[in-house]
Amino acid sequence: MKHRAVSVAKVTVPIRALLNRFALLFLIIAAFAIMLLGKADTLVVERARSSVVDAVAPVMDALSRPIATVSEGVGRVNRFFTVYEENAQLREQNARLLEWQSAALALAAENSTFRKMLHFVPERGTSFAAARVIGDSGGVFVRSVLINGGTVDGIQKGDAVVNGDGLIGRVAESGRRSGRVLLISDLNSRIPVVGEKSRVRAILAGDNSPLPKLSFLSPNAGLEVGDRIVTSGHGGVFPAGLPVGRISSIGDGGIRVQPFADFYRLEYVRIITEFPGEVAGRIVPSAAGPSQLQ
Amino acid sequence: MITAAFQRLDRSARLLAPFVTSVLLVMLSALPVYLPGYGQVAVDVGLMTVFYWAIYRPDLFPAIAAFVLGLWQDILVGSPIGLHALILLLANWAIVSQRTFFQGKSFAVIWWCFSLVALAAAIVSWIIVCALNVTLMSPVPVLFQAALTVGVFPFMAWLLARAQHAIVRPLDV
Repeated sequence: MKHRAVSVAKVTVPIRALLNRFALLFLIIAAFAIMLLGKADTLVVERARSSVVDAVAPVMDALSRPIATVSEGVGRVNRFFTVYEENAQLREQNARLLEWQSAALALAAENSTFRKMLHFVPERGTSFAAARVIGDSGGVFVRSVLINGGTVDGIQKGDAVVNGDGLIGRVAESGRRSGRVLLISDLNSRIPVVGEKSRVRAILAGDNSPLPKLSFLSPNAGLEVGDRIVTSGHGGVFPAGLPVGRISSIGDGGIRVQPFADFYRLEYVRIITEFPGEVAGRIVPSAAGPSQLQ
Repeated sequence: MITAAFQRLDRSARLLAPFVTSVLLVMLSALPVYLPGYGQVAVDVGLMTVFYWAIYRPDLFPAIAAFVLGLWQDILVGSPIGLHALILLLANWAIVSQRTFFQGKSFAVIWWCFSLVALAAAIVSWIIVCALNVTLMSPVPVLFQAALTVGVFPFMAWLLARAQHAIVRPLDV
């Protein structure tokens, strides 16, 4: 009897080992297959991804709140020490903004007169959805964040995402109640932009570094360090005139742009779910954020 | 009868603990922390847990668990899907196949081995991502992440050892 059990084991053990070995091989092949499938950008992978994220989004949303509160508290304490300088800065900025406001009011009045003269048909307004960032731009290879808004909030794949400072990115995946935002610094981000003053068109291409690069640009395009870059609206995916960033350096490595938005401290973002289609060339006044876009 | 059923339930819950805690830890690591630059070099929690369980309880962390944990990490973090699945699978295989070497070794040796695994994982994932995107990326962030992960490993190992003693150890008695 004992002898028999040993002989059975003699047969089953190698088979088991073989199966185990093939299981590993099978899993390695599966990993590569999934990678290639994901690279081919098929809908299946994207749907599977967003349904999983949808399922855990409420949990991550709840868990991220205490962290945000702590971070906010730390920020508040930090700000307490700089309150004097900040106050002076704000006063100065306020004075500047008042000038801008009067300029904007004058322009608006002028504009409405011109519109009346032209019997201009008003465009549809811009509508926004707000969402909270519930997942960090984790990992070395991607620059993206998870948000707790999805198709039920009217958020679609491709929508522009902004905060008070400027453009953040675009919605890359949209589930029912969650979504993934590809930041403008990501390797796969390409945004049509234009120099606000020079009106030189270019593509803002991310390369995972904090400073995305302007590409498809002639060497003497007439851009200077400090120039503001805004979205051009070409391609019709983004509204025109969203503030993107400022040129930080021009050199052999290309023209680099410092984004206005601080990607490290994203907590709430706004998604532009709808915007007038025929806005090519329209510019948001630089003092005003996209919130004033009506 | 009922106690027997509960005992069985308790036992299977304990057997699942390594995998479940790994899943939770990976999710926690994906939460926003609002530290400048941290999101870019966030420590690779998946690699640490896979390494730990592959050394101390490989029976409770089979290859398929490493694979699924990798997919989970890819989905939450947004990295190319399948990347971490492959990396964690290879790490799990590499350690389990060298298991006899690790037996009775001091923590310093294990830490040293982890740094080698982390370096290998960084290089392999860097090569794969470069190939997938058909561009040459800077390897600096990947290596920095590996270094940070190696630095945090003792703390994580301590945490997992506590979990092992509290949850898994009663099974051995």
